[in-house]
Amino acid sequence: MRQLLIGSAILAAALAAVPAKAQDMVFTSWGGTTQDAQKQAWAVPFTEESGVNVLMDGPTDYGKLKAMVESGNVGWDVVDVEYDFAIKAAQDGLLEAIDFAVVDRDAIDPRFVTDHAVGSFYYSFVIGYNADTYADTTPSSWADLFDLEAFPGKRTFYKWSAPGVLEIALLADGVAPEELYPLDLDRAFAKLDTIKSEIIWWDSGAQSQQLLASGEAPLGQFWNGRVAAVAQSGANVGISWEQNLTAADVLVVPKGAPNKDAAMKFLAVATAAEPQAEFAKASAYAPINVDSKDLMDAETVETLPDSHTESQIDLDMQYWAENRDEIADRWYAWQAQ
Amino acid sequence: MTNPAGAARTGLGPAVPAFALLLLFFVVPVVMLLLRSVTEPEFGLQNYAALFGSGTYARVLFNTFLVAALVTVFTLVLAFPVAWFMTVLPGRWATIVFAIVLLSMWTNLLARTYAWLVLLQRTGVINKTLISLGVIDQPLPLVNNLTGVTIGMVYIMLPFMILPLHATLRTIDPAILRAAALCGANRWQAFRRVLVPLVMPGIMAGGLMVFVMSLGYFVTPALLGGTSNMMLAQLIAQLVQSLLNWGLGGAAAFVLLVVTLAIYALQIRLLDTRRLATQGAV
Repeated sequence: MRQLLIGSAILAAALAAVPAKAQDMVFTSWGGTTQDAQKQAWAVPFTEESGVNVLMDGPTDYGKLKAMVESGNVGWDVVDVEYDFAIKAAQDGLLEAIDFAVVDRDAIDPRFVTDHAVGSFYYSFVIGYNADTYADTTPSSWADLFDLEAFPGKRTFYKWSAPGVLEIALLADGVAPEELYPLDLDRAFAKLDTIKSEIIWWDSGAQSQQLLASGEAPLGQFWNGRVAAVAQSGANVGISWEQNLTAADVLVVPKGAPNKDAAMKFLAVATAAEPQAEFAKASAYAPINVDSKDLMDAETVETLPDSHTESQIDLDMQYWAENRDEIADRWYAWQAQ
Repeated sequence: MTNPAGAARTGLGPAVPAFALLLLFFVVPVVMLLLRSVTEPEFGLQNYAALFGSGTYARVLFNTFLVAALVTVFTLVLAFPVAWFMTVLPGRWATIVFAIVLLSMWTNLLARTYAWLVLLQRTGVINKTLISLGVIDQPLPLVNNLTGVTIGMVYIMLPFMILPLHATLRTIDPAILRAAALCGANRWQAFRRVLVPLVMPGIMAGGLMVFVMSLGYFVTPALLGGTSNMMLAQLIAQLVQSLLNWGLGGAAAFVLLVVTLAIYALQIRLLDTRRLATQGAV
């Protein structure tokens, strides 16, 4: 859940502005198992190395971030955000430039680094299904998610306006990957209309896992790490990597962050090969450091998007940053109909 | 009470912290929000025009009132017998029922709402039981829609209806109903023409409280509703947090505030008129 009411967003910005102690910094992410892994893999070694204590906050809230920067009362030093938001936020002047004298830019996969953001981790949207429900034929392509006859039942998709679902609709409708952008929104929404009544929207990773494992929505679009985690917990679920869609979370420093120097050093540790490898092992998301894979065992590497590049498609974050607002208006209007 | 002005003066001092808190953390942010709604992205009423002009937002407004009305009606229908029961029960039992009603109010809202999710979902307790009993062969769509929101909210609002109804019912002399029966009224007539008019202040108070609370409700519709049943509070959260459109979000929040205040004013007026009418009758 990332919603709160407006008053609390403003109030929280005021409250969050209580300054951290000297030699403390605040890291904000999405909570849950992901943030636990980030704490273990990044914050713990960073504190050992620098003596700077890292306080955990969350979940990430774009409204709060904007309120903090606008009020000049920034309580967060490093924030884990979605990639397209980071590009837009940088354009809007909400972010500090990354100090690449401290952070090693060359070690980061060039797909996942900009002047104002460094990769946090990357992931793919994949097809996940409950193998108890679909015992005979299993869904393998995005088109299968739109085939109500072959695969009856509720399907689940990411609720928020973000890279992913519209691309999936177009791929399912037969658009070639190289012709995805600029997105044909009319066509995408028309395709989604064909299954709209059968969609349950997930708004958090935990909810997507619950829907899949319980069979409430026995198939859908998932973050690869979340399906892997459900499978590890013993549930009978399957995954299809066909046309998996990569997207990333990135780490940013809000403009006016009180501990900017510590924040840059934190980013240097967080994006280094070993911490990235440790995080990937714990979360099943992929490391953005190009050297991390060498530090991981073959079995873990197999669960990463890096091992499924054959039909992989990179979601176009630049396109999304440019069209984010316009698409969001239409997305939420369509959802509410 | 002999000198109300004096009482107000002496009572003022201790109330200052609460007033200051409200002023600082409610009035000031609301005014700032209102200002944003007429200044972002530029000075003017464009946000309000967008809010009322777009089919989507109009739909959200309509849906908000629809849910609030449905919840109020169902809550009233369910609460009335409980309130009546509590009134006629002997003291000790009434206390126990009272405690149960209050207990449900004091249990965490999120926990209660998630519990409904577990009960209502397609693979939930209710559907599984009905299917295994052979009553249905396909799960009923009880959640992620208007049904789910209404069920969840009626449940949460029940105490807010039961308590005012009970408070009013308690003041009614049961002999009045016997008198009605003696005068030849059947049970329905006694209920409809004697009891209901007497309880009307309680019905109005409870009804308006539930209606107004429902208008601004967030958690339950967010968890039990689908995207097509969005209510105003969800729209505000979405505009503020996902779209970062604080101008439009401010406008939506202000509309919600104005509607709430208008209904509150109506309530005061209606109760006043009623009191006058009753006094006139006596």
